[in-house]
Amino acid sequence: MSTNVVRIETTPKRGEGMRDVRGDSVKRQLLADHGIKIGNVRSIVGFLIFSEIDAEKIAQRADDVFADPIIEESTTNKLHLDDINLFPDPLDMVVTIGFKPGVTDNPGKAALDGFRTIFPDAGPEANISTYITYGFTGLPSNIEGDWLSKQLHNGLIERALISSKGQPPPKIEYTPVEPSSYAKPATINLEVSDDELLKISDEGLLALNLEEMQTIQSHYRNLDVRKSREAVGLPQNAPTDVELECLAQTWSEHCKHKIFAAHINHIDKETGENSEIDSLFKTHIMTPTLDMKKEVDWLLSVFHDNSGVIAWDENWSVCMKAETHNSPSALDPYGGAMTGIVGVNRDILGTGLGARPIANTDVFCFGPPTWKGDLPDNLFHPSRVLRGVHAGVRVGGNESGIPTVNGAIVFDDRYIGKPLVYCGTIGIMPRQLSDGRESHEKNPQPGDRVYMVGGRVGYDGIHGATFSSLELTEESPSSAVQIGDPITQKKMIDMILEARDIGLITCITDNGAGGLSSSIGEMAEYTNGCKIDLGKVPLKQAGLSSWEILVSESQERMTVAVKESDVTKFEALAKLHEVEATWVADFTNTGLFHVTHDDDTVALLPIEFLHDGVPQLRLESEWKKPTHEEFIPHSNASHTDLLMRMLSRPNIASKETWVRQYDHEVIAQTAVKPFVGIENDGPGDAGVLAPIHGSTRGLVVSNGISPRYSDIDAGAMAAAAVDEAMRNAVCAGADLSKIAGLDNFCWPDPIESAKTPDGKFKLAQLVRANRELERICRAYFVPCISGKDSMKNDYGTGENKISIPPTLLFSLFGNHPDVRYTTTSDLKPGESIYLLGESKQELGASEISFMLKESNEANGIGGTVPQLPYPEINLASYKSLTKAIQNGLIRTAHDCSEGGVAIAIAEMCIGGRCGAEIDIDGPGNADLWGRLWGESLGRIIVGVKQENRERFLAMMKGHNLTYMGETTDGDNLLIWDGDELIIEANTEEMASVWKNSLDMTGGN
Amino acid sequence: MVNIPKVAVLFGFGINCDRETAAVFELAGAQSERVHVNNFVNNERDLSEFHILAVPGGFSFGDHLGSGRLLGNRMRFAMRKQLSEFVAAGKPIIGICNGFQVLVKTGLLPGREKPDFEQSASLTLNNSGRYEDRWITLDFDPNSKCIWTKGITRIECPVRHGEGRFVMPSITDLDTLEKNHQIVTRYVDPSTEPGKGITNEDLPFPICPNGSIRNIAGICDPTGLIFGLMPHPEAAYANFLHPHHTRKEIQEEILGEGMKIFQNAVNYAKSNL
Repeated sequence: MSTNVVRIETTPKRGEGMRDVRGDSVKRQLLADHGIKIGNVRSIVGFLIFSEIDAEKIAQRADDVFADPIIEESTTNKLHLDDINLFPDPLDMVVTIGFKPGVTDNPGKAALDGFRTIFPDAGPEANISTYITYGFTGLPSNIEGDWLSKQLHNGLIERALISSKGQPPPKIEYTPVEPSSYAKPATINLEVSDDELLKISDEGLLALNLEEMQTIQSHYRNLDVRKSREAVGLPQNAPTDVELECLAQTWSEHCKHKIFAAHINHIDKETGENSEIDSLFKTHIMTPTLDMKKEVDWLLSVFHDNSGVIAWDENWSVCMKAETHNSPSALDPYGGAMTGIVGVNRDILGTGLGARPIANTDVFCFGPPTWKGDLPDNLFHPSRVLRGVHAGVRVGGNESGIPTVNGAIVFDDRYIGKPLVYCGTIGIMPRQLSDGRESHEKNPQPGDRVYMVGGRVGYDGIHGATFSSLELTEESPSSAVQIGDPITQKKMIDMILEARDIGLITCITDNGAGGLSSSIGEMAEYTNGCKIDLGKVPLKQAGLSSWEILVSESQERMTVAVKESDVTKFEALAKLHEVEATWVADFTNTGLFHVTHDDDTVALLPIEFLHDGVPQLRLESEWKKPTHEEFIPHSNASHTDLLMRMLSRPNIASKETWVRQYDHEVIAQTAVKPFVGIENDGPGDAGVLAPIHGSTRGLVVSNGISPRYSDIDAGAMAAAAVDEAMRNAVCAGADLSKIAGLDNFCWPDPIESAKTPDGKFKLAQLVRANRELERICRAYFVPCISGKDSMKNDYGTGENKISIPPTLLFSLFGNHPDVRYTTTSDLKPGESIYLLGESKQELGASEISFMLKESNEANGIGGTVPQLPYPEINLASYKSLTKAIQNGLIRTAHDCSEGGVAIAIAEMCIGGRCGAEIDIDGPGNADLWGRLWGESLGRIIVGVKQENRERFLAMMKGHNLTYMGETTDGDNLLIWDGDELIIEANTEEMASVWKNSLDMTGGN
Repeated sequence: MVNIPKVAVLFGFGINCDRETAAVFELAGAQSERVHVNNFVNNERDLSEFHILAVPGGFSFGDHLGSGRLLGNRMRFAMRKQLSEFVAAGKPIIGICNGFQVLVKTGLLPGREKPDFEQSASLTLNNSGRYEDRWITLDFDPNSKCIWTKGITRIECPVRHGEGRFVMPSITDLDTLEKNHQIVTRYVDPSTEPGKGITNEDLPFPICPNGSIRNIAGICDPTGLIFGLMPHPEAAYANFLHPHHTRKEIQEEILGEGMKIFQNAVNYAKSNL
C-alpha cells in the first residue's frame, strides 16, 4: 500500500455562544506578561496524517475524529486561512508552531489512536503530527514576528513559521523522523595518559573524574576479567562504549550521590574544629534513621528502594518520594517539569512490588516573576519559567489523576540562574498481597523474566541529564529535553497495579536516569546477575546504537520481573490495557551484568564492580561565618503600610490562581485543601487526606523550605525547614508518633575547583545543614526515610556565575488519627487568639529585611537568623497542641513563617473574612520589629472558642502560650503593642492585595 | 427486584475517578466493579451483567482532540450494541465530568428517546481558558424526570475541568431541552435560597465556573435515566471533604450530600430492575 500525507485543520466556529478560547488565552497572556493589547487572536489546530488512507476517505470522517462538528469547522488538504469566508479580515501576523521531529507529540499520539479506531487499516507506519496556528489582528505595529513567536514556542523542541501582513500564510509540512545511524559497539582504549583519560570522559559527556577513569582502566588490567571477556568474544583489555557509558551512568553523581558519600575534611574557622567525616549521608541521615528504626515497628523499608515505606496500619503501608528536575526545567520549563512529576510518580510505582500514587506535592523556586533586570544568555524570563513549570506539573498531575495537595513557590533573584522544581509523590499499597507476600519487599529469582513496560526507547533522553545548559542552543538535538506522556503512563499504572494485585510481579523499578542500564542493573543486585538482549527492546526509531538503547532515559517505562509461569497472564493484561510489554532480559546468578545485542555480547561487567566499584571522593570543607550588614530599618512607613506591602511580596502573596489549576481533589480524599476558609481562599498549611473511602483515618503531608536563611547560616536554614514542615503537620493535628521525613538538597557545586573557588565554603554549608538536620530530626523523632540531592545548581562561570542559595526542602508525611479532627488557618467567629511559642529578636534574612533592603529602607539583611536551640521544648508544645486538636478543642491554627506574626494573623483574618484585635506585647526581649515581623521558629497562632477555652488552657499548661486577643465582628485587623495601636488594616483590602499580586491570568 | 444492584464503573485510557466512583456506589448499597473499557469492546464482558453504568471523570486519551471525544468514539463504534440494549432495558447511566463529556460526544446526551449515537451538543473550553478545581453550588430542576436527582434541591461539590462549557447549535435546542426538564442542574449563586437559584441570566465567574450557556451544569436524556454533569458529586461523598468542615461542628455522620445522587440510582435499580 502506498502512504500519503493528509492535512486536516480545525478552527472554532463563529457565531452566537461560540468562542475561540485558545486565541483568547494567548491574548490575555501577552497582556498579563508584557502589557501588550491585541485586537483579536484566532487559533487553528492542524493535523498532518501520514497513513495509507487517502484524503477523500479521511475528509469524510474528519468530523468523527479531528473536529467537533458542533463547535468546530474542519477542512482537508487546505489551509483555513485561505478561506475568505472563515477569515474575512486581513491578519497582521500569523504564527504556526509544530514540534520538531522526534519530540513527543501527545495530541498527535492520541489522534493516531482515534484514527485507528476509525481506520484500522491505516498501516503499520501511520503517524500523526500536530501544529497550532495563531492569527493576529489589531497587533501593535512595533511587535516583531520573531519576538512574538518566541513568546509562543520553545526553539529547543518546537519549530515556528511566521508570516506578516500580506504574505501567504505559513504552511508547516510533515517531517518524518530521520532514522538514527547505527554504529557497531566501539572499543575504547584506556591505556593512555591521564590527560587522555580525562579527554575521553569530557568528550563523551561521561562526567567521570580522573580517579574514576583510572579505576575503570585498572579493571581492564585484571587477568580474570580479561579471561571472562575473551570467553564471550569481547575485547579483552579495553571497555566497549556500551560498558563505559553504563559505568558512567551508574557512577554518576545523580545515581551514586558521590558528594554525600564523600570523605570530607571539615574545618570550622569560627570554632577551630578540624574533623573528618566519612559520608554525610551515612553519618547524618542513615545512622539517625537506623537508630530510630530500633525503637519503632513501622519503618518498613528505608533508603534502599525507590521510596521509603512506613506501615500506616495493619492493612496498608504508605511511601513517599520527592525528586528535583532542575536542569531540564531550565531548558524547557514545560517538558522538564512534566517529566519531573510523572517521573517521581514512577518512583512510587516502583516501590516494593508497586505502590499506587495518591498525592503529589510540588515546591518551586524561581526568580521573581516581575524581574526587570538583565537575563543571562539562554535563560528564560522567570515569568516564562513559572508558566511553563506550572503547566507541566498541572498537565502531568491532572492527567495522571493524582491530586496535588500541598506545595509552595519561593522566589529569589538567584533562582534565575537555575529554577528548582521539586516534585513529590505519596503512595499507598496493601501490606500483604493476595498470595501472602509482603508488598514492600522485592523478591526476584534467577530465571525470572524481565519486561520493559510502557513507552519505547528513543533518541530523546540520551544523556538528557548530562547536557550542560551552556552547550544548548536553538539547534540542540531533541535528545536534551523530553516531554512526558501522562496517558501512556496512566495506562501503564493501571495495568501494573492489576498485575501486582494478582501476584504477577516479583520485582519492579522505574526507568529514570541511566535507563535500562540503571533499572535492570540495580534489580540484578537481588539475584546477582542478569542478561539483557538489546535487540529485543522496542524502539521509537530504528538505528539506535547499543549504548544508546542501554542508557536512554526515554520516559514512561517501568522494568518489571515476572516468574516464567506467569508470563502469559502478564502479557494478556498488557494487551488488554494496550500497554507495550516486552521481554528484554532474564535474571541470573552469574555475578555478571551481561548485555547482548541480538547474538553479540556488547557488555560484560561484574555486578559488584558496577555497583560498588566507584572510588570515594575526598573533599575539603571550610566554614567562615559570612558577614552581612545588620538589618536596621530606617523606614518612615507605618507598620500598616508595611503590612500591605508585605502581603503583596511574591514570597507571601497568594498563589491561588496557579494552585487552583491543579486538581487537588481527585480520588475524593482531600480533607484539608490548599485553600481554606469562608471564601476558600485562605492558605492551607498541611494537606490532610483520607485515602480509604468511608474511613476517617488520615494521612498528613507538609513541606518546609527557607532558603534565604542560608545567606547567614545553612545550618539554621535546615533547622527552619524541618520545623516549618513540623509546624504545618502540627496544625493539621497529625499523630506525631508516626511521621517520617524526606530530605531534598539542592546545592550549588560544593567541590573546590577553578570554576568554583568558593567550593570549600559551599561544602561547609552542606556539612552544617546536615548536622542540624540530624539534630532536629532526632529531637522530633522524624526519621528521614528517603531523600535526594542535586548538587550542581549554578549557571555560567566567573564574574557572571549565578549560584542558587543552598536549599533544603524538608517534606513530612505521617499518620492522622481522624481527619474530622483538624484545623484550618481561617479564624472562626467568636474565637480567642493565642500565640504558642516565643517571638525572639530574630530578623536576620527575614522577608521584611529583604523587602526593606531592596527599597533602600534598610542597609542589610544581617542579624540573628531564627534558631532552634531547644527543639525538645518545641516538641512538647507540639504534642500538647495536636492532642488539643485531636480532642476537637480547637479548629483554627496557623504557623508563623515568612513575615512572622503580622502576616500569619493577616492571613487568618483573610481566611475567616473577619476582624481581629490582638496585642503583640508578650514574654521575651524582642522589640516591636522582632515580635511583629521576626520569623522565630516554633510559633503557631491558634483560635479557641469560648466554650473550649478552659479545657484547652489546661491541656496547654506548662507551655509558652500567650493570650493575644479576640476575633471581632468588624472587618479590621487591629494590632496593638501594649497601649499603642501599631496596625489597622481592612480585611477586604488585605485580601485584595494578597490575592492580586501573583494573579497572572490576565482576567477570566 | 434486585437486592444489590451491580454497577459497572468504566476505567482505562486515562479515566481516573474510577476508584472513588466505585466506592461511593458501594457506600450507597450497590456492588460495584471497575471494568476496563476493552473488556466490553472485546466482548469479554457484557454490559447486560450490570444494572447501572458509570462513566467516571478523568482525562480519557488526554482530552486531546476535545474532551471525551476519543473514548466517546470507542463507545460509539465498538460498544454500540451493548449500550443500545442497556438503554432499552431501562437501566441508569451516569457520566461525571469527563464521563459527561464522553456521553455527550457519543450522542447519548442530550439524546433521543431511542439512542442514535449522533452528537447534538458539546462541552468546550471554559471561557477562562483555564482548568480549575473549585467548589460550586448546584440547584436542581424539581420537575425533571431524572431518576438520579429526585428530591435533591441543592448540593455543593467541586468542579475540576477545563472543558465544561455546555453549548448547543441553536437557542431553540436549548429551549426544547429546558421545556423537557432535561436541564437537570445548574450553577447558582450560593447566597440565593436553595431551590430559588436557577436562572437563564449569565452568572459571573466563578459562580458559573466555565461560562456554560444558561449556567448548565448537568443534563439528562428524555427518559431521565441517563444523567451527565460536570461537577463531581462523588468528591462530596463525605462531610469531611467539604472545604468548610472545620467551620462546622464535628459530625458523627460521615456521608455527605453528594451521596444522594448515587443512592437515588441504587434505589431506582432496586425497585425497578
